[in-house]
Amino acid sequence: MTHFDDPGEEMRELFLETAQELLQSLNEEALKLEKRPDDGEAVRSLRRGIHTLKGDAAACGFRELSELAHKLEDALAPEHVGPNASLAELAFTAADTFAAMLAAYRDHTALPSIQSLDEILVALSAGTKRPGATKNQNHEDVATQGIDWSEYELLASRQSASLGKSVHHVSVLIDPGCTMPIAARQMVLNALNALGQVLGSRPESDSAGLARELDFLFASGLSAEEIVAKCKIPTIISQVDVETITEASEKTSLANPGAQILSGEISTTPHSNEEPARASDSVEHSADSVAAEPATDPGGLLPHHAAENILRVDAERVDALLNLVGELIIGKSMLQQAVNELSKRYPKEPLRARLADAVALQARVLSDLQRSVMKVRMVPVEQLFRRFPRLVRDVARRCGKNVQLIISGETTDLDKSLLDTIAEPLTHLIRNAVSHGIESPPERRQQGKPAEGTIHLSAYHQGNQVIISVRDDGAGIALDRVKAKAVAQHLVAASESQHMDQPEVLELLFHPGFSTADEITEISGRGVGLDVVRSVLRRLKGNVEIETRIGSGTTFHLKVPLTLAIIKALLFRIEQRLYAIPLNAVAEIARARESDLHQVENYEVLQLRDQVLPLVRLGMTASESTVPDRRIFVLVIASGGRKFGLIVDGIEGEEELVIKPLDDHMVATDLVSGASILGDGRVVLIVNLAAIMERSQKSRRKESQGGGHGLLLPQAERALGLGVPAEVRL
Amino acid sequence: MEHFAPVRRTKDGQPVRYLVVDDSVFARKNLARIIEAFGGQMAGEAADGLTAISEYSRVNPDIVLMDITMPQMEGIEAAEKIMQQHPEARVVMVSSVGYQENIVAALQRGARHFVQKPVKAEVLYEVIKYVLGEDGTVANAAGAGAGS
Repeated sequence: MTHFDDPGEEMRELFLETAQELLQSLNEEALKLEKRPDDGEAVRSLRRGIHTLKGDAAACGFRELSELAHKLEDALAPEHVGPNASLAELAFTAADTFAAMLAAYRDHTALPSIQSLDEILVALSAGTKRPGATKNQNHEDVATQGIDWSEYELLASRQSASLGKSVHHVSVLIDPGCTMPIAARQMVLNALNALGQVLGSRPESDSAGLARELDFLFASGLSAEEIVAKCKIPTIISQVDVETITEASEKTSLANPGAQILSGEISTTPHSNEEPARASDSVEHSADSVAAEPATDPGGLLPHHAAENILRVDAERVDALLNLVGELIIGKSMLQQAVNELSKRYPKEPLRARLADAVALQARVLSDLQRSVMKVRMVPVEQLFRRFPRLVRDVARRCGKNVQLIISGETTDLDKSLLDTIAEPLTHLIRNAVSHGIESPPERRQQGKPAEGTIHLSAYHQGNQVIISVRDDGAGIALDRVKAKAVAQHLVAASESQHMDQPEVLELLFHPGFSTADEITEISGRGVGLDVVRSVLRRLKGNVEIETRIGSGTTFHLKVPLTLAIIKALLFRIEQRLYAIPLNAVAEIARARESDLHQVENYEVLQLRDQVLPLVRLGMTASESTVPDRRIFVLVIASGGRKFGLIVDGIEGEEELVIKPLDDHMVATDLVSGASILGDGRVVLIVNLAAIMERSQKSRRKESQGGGHGLLLPQAERALGLGVPAEVRL
Repeated sequence: MEHFAPVRRTKDGQPVRYLVVDDSVFARKNLARIIEAFGGQMAGEAADGLTAISEYSRVNPDIVLMDITMPQMEGIEAAEKIMQQHPEARVVMVSSVGYQENIVAALQRGARHFVQKPVKAEVLYEVIKYVLGEDGTVANAAGAGAGS
């Protein structure tokens, strides 16, 4: 049996999840209201969101939240609020308070204080709510009065009696459990109107208020018992008493003069027959205005509408599916290789072609399957971007800046788990952009810029990657100050810092030691936690890049792969070992001989057309492998705004790799980011390019003398014997 | 929670079919659980008024449970449209305390009943029986009730 009073954990989870979406839309409406306090549509939308929250919370047994939402909803009722600047504040505070309460419910901790919200509520209602409160009291007075049918009503009843109907005094008691007495009254009226004619009612319709005892003067052909039966509406009416005042009778004499008096009185005394009509008129107006509002609210609708056909699936299940697809892909390449082998061995075998066809078909379906499964994991980055307008507003406010956020490309799809992971770094970058990137309004005016700073947040696809950029039009990063700081912190030698080019200087910002220093924020505006941003991106096989120009701003590009699980990779050999790198990192592949390589300072470089390309060796150092005329390949890697060459012994081809993460206890290096299994069962290690680049720069700085230095991946790998390096030291 | 004797349609002894209209997934799911406990059947659901109207024509339910506040088209308007097209429609408004005037309006336009959020199963049960009137039959414990 189900338990509605104590909803299961599943329901709670569903609630907590949907509540997040509601809070998000609260924030959005609040932002709208802040810009345009007279935006009635935003208020209504806000109220609707709070209303839904209230209902859901109540059903889940989260009483405190429901009650608070109820208060808020009341405060936002159309009759209580006009254009009011404090509404936005109220909405923001409400969203925050709700969020805190939800977190408390989820973690089973103590509920937060709702004082700040209460204060705003009180302030808001102080000016507006009083008339309503006094009116309610009046209603109660009316409700306690005895029944005193007006002359006209009595007249009408006599008339009805003359028409062959009995007139009854129907008194009903609204069920104490029913909190909507006016609606209850309407139910009774509906029931009565279906049976006969309501001649009068107490209290009257426009003052029904909170009355729980209702009296009707009712003309009908039915007997008292029948009326009782029809009016006893379950859950709404707890008691019905019918007293027959006049049996169907013969009194007709008074009818005519009565009618004359009556017509003169219509304007002052409520005419019982017209009463329902008038009431419905007035409601019609409000109903119309309510009905008209959604049409003008495309923004508010979309989330609700989109939610219509959405299936909520645990991400783990999709991951399991993708994992199986990954295994199938390995199976596919095994099959492919076997077929190739077969073709070579038995070129005349007729079965060969059929087999090859079947394999090709299977491969095609498999790649469709893979795409479909991956699509399941994709969500628009909007899910993440939605929270930033609020963030920008809050941070800007705190640092006394004026900042607008422009978002583009929010429909770009990204793997859900990736999106979740970059949320933190991206939030960080945006916060930085506001607090440090954008200058204060006076400063900006001084430089001839508009007082309001702009942050562009955009997302777009580029090849197999999604690039998310945060661009500000602020002060930019002062390179020489970064350098000076780095020297002061002994991160680089003063002499060395002279030679550093822009990418190298910016690289310093990512140095963990650099980022922890407090003054950096004042100097460069950047640096706080950038190492964390980078390490997250690295883990995702992505990267973060900086572009900056003094005076005109800074742009951070977060590059992330479309998905974590499967990459297109270039396979290559170093000292008979197989490695892979993401194909999209490779700008070109050049052939060379050992003798083409040159030594510049402590760099090994290659002259490639008109460029001098710094090189990185993954294998043995140059001096160890002195076969002067050995042919080698140089993979030109473009990463982080700079290029470098990776010296490899041979190219194996490209392949789709299903990445298997390596546990930390298997690999104690960040030079390798994962592993994969090829069709023939060989294990291939996936090289982490960003880490390699960083290491080679570091080692270059340290090694002021000596020849080209290898990273010695294979040696370390050999030490383990398994093909997985246990530890790689430089 | 108490056990509910299943309510069936009098004419053919089949489960009562419901259309649930609410913009909150959560509320719809909650109602679905309650309906199931009544031996009813979810004929369809909708998250907004417009969809509700087309769903009504499509599934032709015995009872519509209609939320008041929704995007696209509010509950009252949707209820009104449905009742215009299908005068026999039994629409029960579902809403919280704050929307009494809307409920009154809906009742004036032909809604049969209303229940308050959070919906209590035992309340809705009584409401459903009332709204179905003679078209609904409370079935006896085991399948014997069909047909009568």
